[in-house]
Amino acid sequence: MIRAHFNLDSDRRITAFQITGHADAGPYGQDIVCAAVSALSISVINGLDKLVQAHPVIESDNDNGGFLKVTGLRSDHDSQLLLTTLLNGLLDIQESYPDNIEVKMLN
Amino acid sequence: MIMDLQFFSHHKGGGSTANGRNSAGRRLGTKAADGSVVTAGSIIYRQRGTHINPGENVGRGGDDTLYAKVAGVVKFERMGRSKRKVSVYPVAE
Repeated sequence: MIRAHFNLDSDRRITAFQITGHADAGPYGQDIVCAAVSALSISVINGLDKLVQAHPVIESDNDNGGFLKVTGLRSDHDSQLLLTTLLNGLLDIQESYPDNIEVKMLN
Repeated sequence: MIMDLQFFSHHKGGGSTANGRNSAGRRLGTKAADGSVVTAGSIIYRQRGTHINPGENVGRGGDDTLYAKVAGVVKFERMGRSKRKVSVYPVAE
């Protein structure tokens, strides 16, 4: 089960997020939920870095996978647009695959 | 970040192998965000090789870690056509 936690400020802006765990939706190389979550989260991080030049603080376990923590997020429109897209995308995945991902929004 | 589509999947499955050992993830990457205020000596970026180069008031450690030489604001900047550097600009008192 992948667990995605998003920290929101008082204005519902995303200030940090952490995605941990494994989807367990198939063998390595065929885990479609893992692939979807990986593609979505890594695309948004690279977008923040290259498109918005936000340079968030990223902690990830590149050897074992299953751990991604991003802080130092900015509240500007473009950053929040990318982050909200990530959050909505993961919520949509959770709707279809509730046994493989759990998304929480923390104030 | 490298696009690993099995980032949130378990290890490779299959029979037993002579491998199976693994070191913990090195937690490389940005440690001080663009625009943040840092003190002298603070680590800004952990890396292998110079993915990002040291700019003004930034030193490079033996393991290529970039750190602030002075207190100030962190700035990630372009360097030439395709390279990047990080600088620290002292805050006017």
